[in-house]
Amino acid sequence: MVSVRDLRKRYGPVEAVRGISFEIQRGEIFGLLGPNGAGKTTTIECILGLREPDAGTIEIAGLDARHDPAAVRERVGAALQTTALHDRITPREALRLFSSFYRRPVDPERLLERFSLTGKADEAVDGLSGGQKQRLALALAFVNAPELVFLDEPTAGLDARSRRELHDEIRRMRDDGHTVLLTTHLLEEAEQLCDRIAIVDRGRIVAIGAPQELVAGSARRHRIVLRTDRPVPADLLQAVAGVAAPTGETDTPSPPAAAAAGRSNELTLQTESAGPTLLALLSALDAHGIALEELHVQRATLEDVFIDLTDATAAERAS
Amino acid sequence: MKGFLAQLAISLRLYFRNRMAMLYGYLFPTVFLIAFYVLYRYERVPLVRHMGELLTVTILGGACFGLATTLVSERERGVWRRYRLTPIPAGTLVASTIAARYVLLLSAGLLQLALAMGLGMPLPDHPFGLVISFSVASFAFLGLGLVIAMIADNVPAVQALGQTIFLPMLIIGGVAVPLASLPDWALYISAFFPGRYAVDAIQATVDGEGLDAAAFSLLALVLIGLAACVAGAGMFRWDAGQRFAKSPGRGWVAVALGGWIGVGLLAQAQGRVIPPELAAERSAAAAAVDRTRASAPLSPAPLPEIEPAPVVPEADEPPASTDSPQTNDGTSDPVSAAGPTGTQPPPSSGAPAPAPTDEVDAGTSVPSMPEADRPADAPDTDPVDTAPADTPADAPAVDSEGAEAPVEVPEWQKVTLAQIMEDLVFDRLPPDSGVVTPVAAYDDIPPEDIWYELDTIQAALETWPPGRTADVLDRARNLLLVPAVIDVYQLPTEPYVPLMVFDILQRDIDSEVLIKALYHIAVHPDEGGDEAIEQLHLLGIGRGPVDMYEVRGRLGVYAVKLIGRITGARPGR
Repeated sequence: MVSVRDLRKRYGPVEAVRGISFEIQRGEIFGLLGPNGAGKTTTIECILGLREPDAGTIEIAGLDARHDPAAVRERVGAALQTTALHDRITPREALRLFSSFYRRPVDPERLLERFSLTGKADEAVDGLSGGQKQRLALALAFVNAPELVFLDEPTAGLDARSRRELHDEIRRMRDDGHTVLLTTHLLEEAEQLCDRIAIVDRGRIVAIGAPQELVAGSARRHRIVLRTDRPVPADLLQAVAGVAAPTGETDTPSPPAAAAAGRSNELTLQTESAGPTLLALLSALDAHGIALEELHVQRATLEDVFIDLTDATAAERAS
Repeated sequence: MKGFLAQLAISLRLYFRNRMAMLYGYLFPTVFLIAFYVLYRYERVPLVRHMGELLTVTILGGACFGLATTLVSERERGVWRRYRLTPIPAGTLVASTIAARYVLLLSAGLLQLALAMGLGMPLPDHPFGLVISFSVASFAFLGLGLVIAMIADNVPAVQALGQTIFLPMLIIGGVAVPLASLPDWALYISAFFPGRYAVDAIQATVDGEGLDAAAFSLLALVLIGLAACVAGAGMFRWDAGQRFAKSPGRGWVAVALGGWIGVGLLAQAQGRVIPPELAAERSAAAAAVDRTRASAPLSPAPLPEIEPAPVVPEADEPPASTDSPQTNDGTSDPVSAAGPTGTQPPPSSGAPAPAPTDEVDAGTSVPSMPEADRPADAPDTDPVDTAPADTPADAPAVDSEGAEAPVEVPEWQKVTLAQIMEDLVFDRLPPDSGVVTPVAAYDDIPPEDIWYELDTIQAALETWPPGRTADVLDRARNLLLVPAVIDVYQLPTEPYVPLMVFDILQRDIDSEVLIKALYHIAVHPDEGGDEAIEQLHLLGIGRGPVDMYEVRGRLGVYAVKLIGRITGARPGR
C-alpha cells in the first residue's frame, strides 16, 4: 500500500531524515514512533506531498507520490495536528465543504452518524469538546473514503475515555479495509493499537516490526522488581549480573544482560532469562541475610525496547 | 467548480456569522457615507458628486483589510494547511475566497448607493456601467489585498501594511480628497496609485459620460489588478512559515509594484496626470492669457496663495498672508520692477519711474464716475509718468494720501490692463466646481429649497447699502465680500451668489475700471474695511463669527475669477 525507500530530507545543516525506508501492507495499522525531532513529522509531510524530499521514492497505492500528489490526495485522508477549521463553521458544513473537494465523496450525513457527531452537527466547531473536535478531524479524513488514512498524534490531549473511544474507532477503520498510518509518542497506545510499528530516531528507523516481536526480540524480556528490608550491596548485584550472561540474540548493540536501577532497598533488574537470575538473586540475598519483602517479575514492555533503542543511538552518537 | 462554489458559499456564510467583520464591511461604508453627507450638509446634492470616492473607499477597505485579514487569519489558524491535504488546487480556493469578497463588496456598494439615494441622490446615470466600473475597481483592489495577505505574516502585519497603502491613497491618492484640490506634486504621485482611477471610473458612470470616458482608468485598474494577481499567485503560501523560502518571493512583490509603476508611467506619458477637467480649465486659461499677453515673458506665478483650499495638506502658506503676492517673487526689487515688461506692483506712491509707453492710453481711458468719490485716495499728479518702482510692494495704496496728486485718476487705476494680465495667473485658481470659491455654471439649476434664500439675496443686493457705495473700489469689495463670507460659511447658496454679484458688478461698472478694481482687491485683500460684513443680515445671511483671514483669501480669489471671466482668460462654465 505504501512503500517508502531511502527518504532523505535536509533543512540547512540538519539532516532531518537520513534514509528512511518502510512498507505498509494494505489493511494494517502502522505506527511511527519516536522522540520529538526524530523525523516523524518530516517523513509524513513528505509522504503527503507537503514537503519536497531531497531523495527517495514514495509510492502510495501504486502512485508515485512525488510526481502526482493531487492523485494521491484524492485517495488519502489525513488528520494532522497543525491543521484547524474555521471556528464558526459547523461539523455538517465542514463535512459538506470538504466532500465537495473530492471526486467520490462519502455522504456527510453518514460520516456524522458514524463519528457520533449528529447531535453536534449544527454547532460551531468552537463549542465542541476536544474529543468531538478530534472525531470531526477523523470524519474529515474520511470524506473521500480513503484507502490510506494518516493520523498525526490522534489522541493527543484527550482524556482516557475519549482515547479509548478513538482507539475503537481506529480499529474499525482497519476492519473496514482502510490502511492506517499513525504517529504517536504514547508507547502504550502503539502497543495496543498498531499491527506494526517503526521506531524512528535521529532520522533513521532503528527498529521495525509487530510490537510483540520487538519486545520479544529485546535483550530484556523480563523485569524483576524487588524490595528488601535493607539496602542491597552493589557487589552482590555484580555477582548476580554475572550469572545472567547475555546470549546476544538481538541486533541491538551489546546491551547489558542485566541492569539494576533504583534506590538501595528497592531494585529493578532487567534480564533475558528470569529463572536463573531469580535463583541467583535469591540465594545471594539469603547468603547476605537480606530479607525479601516484595518481588515482581514482568515481561519487558515496548517502552523498555524504545528506551533501549533510542538510548543506544544516543550513545552511538556520543561516542 | 463544485469546490469553488462550496467554498464561496461557506465563505459568505462564515462572514455573516462574524459580527466584527460585518460591522467592518457594512457599518464602515455607511458611516463614511453619512460623514460625507454631514460634512457637505450645505450642498443639497453632494453625494452624487462623491459616489466615486465613497464606493472606492468601501472597496479599498474591503480589499486591503477585509480580504487580507480573512486570508491571513485563516492561514495563521491552520485552515489553509487543512485545505492543502485535499486535492483541490490553491488557485481555486483563493479565487473562490476572492469571489466571495467581491460579492460582499457588491452588496456593501449597493447598500451605500441605496442609502445615498435615500438621502436624495438621483439614480446613477449609467447603472450598467457602474456595475462594470465597480467590478473592475474591485478586481484591482482585491488583487492588492491578495498581495498584502501573501506578504503579511500575521493579522497585525496586515493592518500595518494596509494602513500604509490605505491612508496615502485616501489623502494624496485622489480618493478622499478630490484631485482638483491637490497640488501638482500630489497629482503626480497619485498617478501611481490605483485609487484615483477607481474614483474616476466609478464617478464617470455615476454622473459622468459613462465607461467610454473612463477607458484609461479602467485599463489602469485592469493592469494593476492583473499584476497583483500574478504576484499573489507567485507568492502564495499555505502557512506563514513558508515565507519567502526562496528568493523569488521578493521578485513577485516587484511584479505587483510594477503594475503600479507601469500605470503611473503610462499616465505620465499620456499626459493624464492632471485630471481632464482641471487640465481643460488650465489650458483654456493659459490660451487666453497667451492671447492677452502677446510678447510678455512668463513671470513666476504671482498668485500661489490663491489656492487656499483648507483640504490641501501643505497649505501652510495661507491666503492673504501677504499684502500682495509680488513680495514673493522679487518684483519689489527696483531693478526688475523697472524692467520694460511691466511686472510692477500696482502703483502706490508717486515715485517716478519709467513706465511702458504703449500702455499709456489704458490709463487715460478711465471713466469719470468714480474719480469724484475718491479724491483723497487718488492723489497722484501725472498718471502717465509715475509708475511705481522703489516703494515696497506691500505699501498700501491709500497711504499716499496728501501727495502731489490731482483728482482725476485714483492710484489703483494707474495699472494697465496688460500689466494686470501679465501679473495674474489664472490657471492656478481653485476650480469653480471645487469646495473653495465655487461658482455655479450658468445652466446650473439651484435646488428648490434654496430658491427663496437666493431670491431674498438677489432682491436685497440691489438695495444693500454697502453695495451702493459710490466708491467703485469699496463697492466692488463690499459686494465680493458677500460670496466670500458665504463660501467660508459653506452655505448651500455658495455657488450661486457669486454669479449674482458678478452680474451686478459687470452691469454697473465699466469693465476696465472693474478689472482694475478687482485687481487691486486681489493683490491687496487686506486693505479696505470689512464693515460691510456687519450688514450681511440685511441679505438674510446670518451673522456668526467668521474668520476674516479666510474671507479675505476668498475675496481675492473671487476677484481674480471675475477678471478671468471679463477678459475671457478664464471663462465660466
